[in-house]
Amino acid sequence: MSRRPLRTGGYHLVAGGISLLWLLPIILVVVTSIRSFDDVAANGVGSLPHSFTLDNFGQAWVDGGEFQAMVNSLIVTIPAVIITLALGAISAFALSRYDLPFRRTVLLVMLAGNLLPPQILLVPVSKMAEMLGIYDTLGALIGVQIGFGLGFYTFVLYGFMRAIPNEIQQAAVIDGATPLQLFWRIILPLTRPALASLAALAFTWVFNDLLWSITVIRTDSKFPITSALLGLQGQYVSQWNVIAAGSVIAAIPTVAVFLRFQRHFVAGLALGAVK
Amino acid sequence: MTTTGFSRRGFLAGLGAVGAATALGGCVTSTGSQAAGGSASGPVTLQSNLSAPSAKAAMQALVDSFNKKGGTQASLNTVASETFRTQLPTYLTSANPPDVLTWYAGSVARSYAGKNLLLDVSEVWNGLAGYSDALKQLSTDSGKQIFIPASYYFWGMFYRKSNFAKWGVTAPTTWAEFLQVCETIKSKGVTPIGLGADNSTPWVASGWFDYLNVRINGANYHRELLAGKHSFADPQVHKVFDQWKTALPYFDPKGTALSFQDATTNLLQGRTGMMLIGTFLLDTTPKEDVDDIDFFRFPIVDPNMPLVEEAPTDGFYASAHTQRKPQTLEFLKYLTTVEAQEAYLKSSAGSSLPANSTAKDSGTPLITKGKEMLNKAADLTQFFNRDSSDALQPTADAALIKFIQHPEQIDSILTDWQSAAKKVWTS
Amino acid sequence: MTATLTAPAAAPPSPAGPRRKRRTLSPTLLAFVLVPLLVETLWVFWPALQGVYLSFTSWDGVSAATLVGFGNYAELFSDPTFGKAFLDTVLWLVLFGGLSAVGGLAMAMLLLKDRRGVGFYRAALFTPVVFSLVATALIWQAIYQPNGLVNTVLGAIGLDSWQHSWLSDANTALYAVIVPALWRQIGYIMVLYLAGLKGIDPTLYEAATVDGASKWQQFTKITLPQLSSVNSVVLSVIIIDSLRSFDVVWALTRGGPYHSSELLSTYMYSTAFQSLRLGYASALAVVIFVLAFGVILTYLVRAFRDADA
Repeated sequence: MSRRPLRTGGYHLVAGGISLLWLLPIILVVVTSIRSFDDVAANGVGSLPHSFTLDNFGQAWVDGGEFQAMVNSLIVTIPAVIITLALGAISAFALSRYDLPFRRTVLLVMLAGNLLPPQILLVPVSKMAEMLGIYDTLGALIGVQIGFGLGFYTFVLYGFMRAIPNEIQQAAVIDGATPLQLFWRIILPLTRPALASLAALAFTWVFNDLLWSITVIRTDSKFPITSALLGLQGQYVSQWNVIAAGSVIAAIPTVAVFLRFQRHFVAGLALGAVK
Repeated sequence: MTTTGFSRRGFLAGLGAVGAATALGGCVTSTGSQAAGGSASGPVTLQSNLSAPSAKAAMQALVDSFNKKGGTQASLNTVASETFRTQLPTYLTSANPPDVLTWYAGSVARSYAGKNLLLDVSEVWNGLAGYSDALKQLSTDSGKQIFIPASYYFWGMFYRKSNFAKWGVTAPTTWAEFLQVCETIKSKGVTPIGLGADNSTPWVASGWFDYLNVRINGANYHRELLAGKHSFADPQVHKVFDQWKTALPYFDPKGTALSFQDATTNLLQGRTGMMLIGTFLLDTTPKEDVDDIDFFRFPIVDPNMPLVEEAPTDGFYASAHTQRKPQTLEFLKYLTTVEAQEAYLKSSAGSSLPANSTAKDSGTPLITKGKEMLNKAADLTQFFNRDSSDALQPTADAALIKFIQHPEQIDSILTDWQSAAKKVWTS
Repeated sequence: MTATLTAPAAAPPSPAGPRRKRRTLSPTLLAFVLVPLLVETLWVFWPALQGVYLSFTSWDGVSAATLVGFGNYAELFSDPTFGKAFLDTVLWLVLFGGLSAVGGLAMAMLLLKDRRGVGFYRAALFTPVVFSLVATALIWQAIYQPNGLVNTVLGAIGLDSWQHSWLSDANTALYAVIVPALWRQIGYIMVLYLAGLKGIDPTLYEAATVDGASKWQQFTKITLPQLSSVNSVVLSVIIIDSLRSFDVVWALTRGGPYHSSELLSTYMYSTAFQSLRLGYASALAVVIFVLAFGVILTYLVRAFRDADA
């Protein structure tokens, strides 16, 4: 027992050291975000700050159009996450709990969609969005995010739902439950922790995506926050201090979501409730 | 956004024939066609790549002043320049394209015109005063004007006056004098030549290639080479690199590890002596240092060659698929006015020159000196990617950075460059 | 896929309901499968088919495309940059994939038990995952600069000879880019493993301790086998992310200097959007896809067979 404080100290030393190492680049971003442009231009990004200002945040938020971009990001991210998970859950349910013909083939095909390098789809997707008349709308971005995320979420949820013991399902079927009732009342509640952790991951991915947003959106007032950040870079000269401030602002929602869902993450893949 | 019934039907038909290659190809490689129904309503859209905050504000002011006149309205849409470049083909081939776009004059614009993607703007040029013949030529493709120049800037060897005075050197005019200056600066313990061609701005190195090539082989050879009429493995090209090698010992050994912005910082702080760069370096210079910046003309290598300078020209063109042709032409006409040109100059911290010669530039000694240099030049080139194509630029980046790091491998570098360039020309 | 998190391995679910029901497929189930499939078809498979079609053409994105048959694929064999990018991608898969799996599992083991401060540590490791790419690229550039953080630290501890222009040296560029990529990936893999570790029945360890098993034996005999289903998710994630690793590399080096850090994904992007050779770029993309799918398929087919065994 006398070794405990020593071990605790050692643990915090190791974990704290790693955390600090991990946060160091982030701290650099924060430091850059409170410097003036002339300071950065004269001394470079890597130097110690010679100035202190909070104007960069205002500049990123107002002049950089970050407020509008943040709204756009949320307009895209929230529906995309909800719809993707809903579609992923129903397909995973059907494929994992029933002996449908070709179910593994279907699962593999859906996963295959996720293995495609997104770059191959950029031009076809933008042309298709144009034909559907939704090019340069947030709807197109939501659509492509759903389509492109679906395979992986189905694949993960399939794994969880397979692990749910069969007796539960059989009992419900004997009681005369339809597939819909079985899904809604039994399987879905058991999958909730997994859905929560996937939701947090999906939120991060969709929110931080850059490639799709510059492909299907053309108008600056419709850009989500990632492409708006990119727009803070000039043709020759970039105001790194403002970009850093913008990045700090842009990271707030995703960090908040992670912290909020942290407990779920850990419970996420665990099906301890099912015995 | 409107979609025509035709294309939606076409799309459904395509869905029905998933395997049919014709449908596949038809969808993805279709270039926009005029939507039936003619002119669309709404403002003229200007798609701009001037994304630096000050530049964006200046462009907004320009559009606002146009809108104040009443009548036709315009709206500005700014996209990060890197994004803009990758999306440009999509913009131009879209069935509902932006009406007016910012871009560069020269072969880059002509290649799009050759594919019938640009609007004929000869109407705007008719009776236009204040524009030189050279600019008109630059904006012409097969007898039609397709480009509206807004401003141009120049390249030169930039340095700090106070530092040159401190080291006791004066601006050189010939290559021999230039090497002498480098030697003196080196003896003071300072790196003579800064570069700033890291992975994010490798094109900076192309300035050296362009200048040495026009100084040694002339502007015509340079343009023909970039158009694929000569090989990069030619002895003439080799000569360029032999000349360059004599200056390489004075280059900053970290030149390929710093971006142009960081290299500018080094120049300002006196860690390097000079730098071949465009006037946009003033945009990243703190205000109190601007007056201390000066430049000299790229040194003369062969006294028999006429003096050629790089003067990249920026401006606008319009999409051939525009659904607002009369309004677009009206807006372009406005962009040629003195008022609009002076508003546009504010987008570059006054470091460029207006295309309309009756418009006022910033009038600083440096800008005036640059203007005189260009006026005396026998010929003007644009810049590597503007005289060739954006597609050829990466081949140059790979070759030039490798040469700067490994000058001894020049033979294999040039043959590799030629084979990479060939793929671009023949595709 | 041996999808059993509860020990011991349960029998795979047998078809639910009486036989008669299964022959007349319930419309609900059919919709459950077809609706998501249709959505993915519209946004992914259909454009992908067009991409495959493009790989048989020569197209600049502007003019009309011309069919060239297998010309693009033939060109791959004689393209030295493709060979370089291919080898780099394999190296990337092994290094980036392997290190992120090992690192993620190690961090998950370290931060598994709920104790004071653990929430902060987990959040610290996860923050890079949610940070914007633009800022990430900027900061790592500053770190790697000739007079940046890495070289300053090396100088401070007397290793001046090790100082280096990390990103602009053809010998180190690729390895230098792996570090920020790992920095962004490890926290994410850690979260997946944390969840998996939480699902292991603690009584298994108690029994093993009673039997006198060492920590290492517990790890190899209990932890790893119990993590099998999480491992399959992690493996898919790693393969997908490795082969599609693009943004960090592109932002930091663009595959340069002179293709020394070129991955298939960056080579494809520059071929498509800088050289405007969309046909050849699509052929590269098809190669990436075939690689990724090949690796995952062999794994999954085996897993499915195990599940049915």
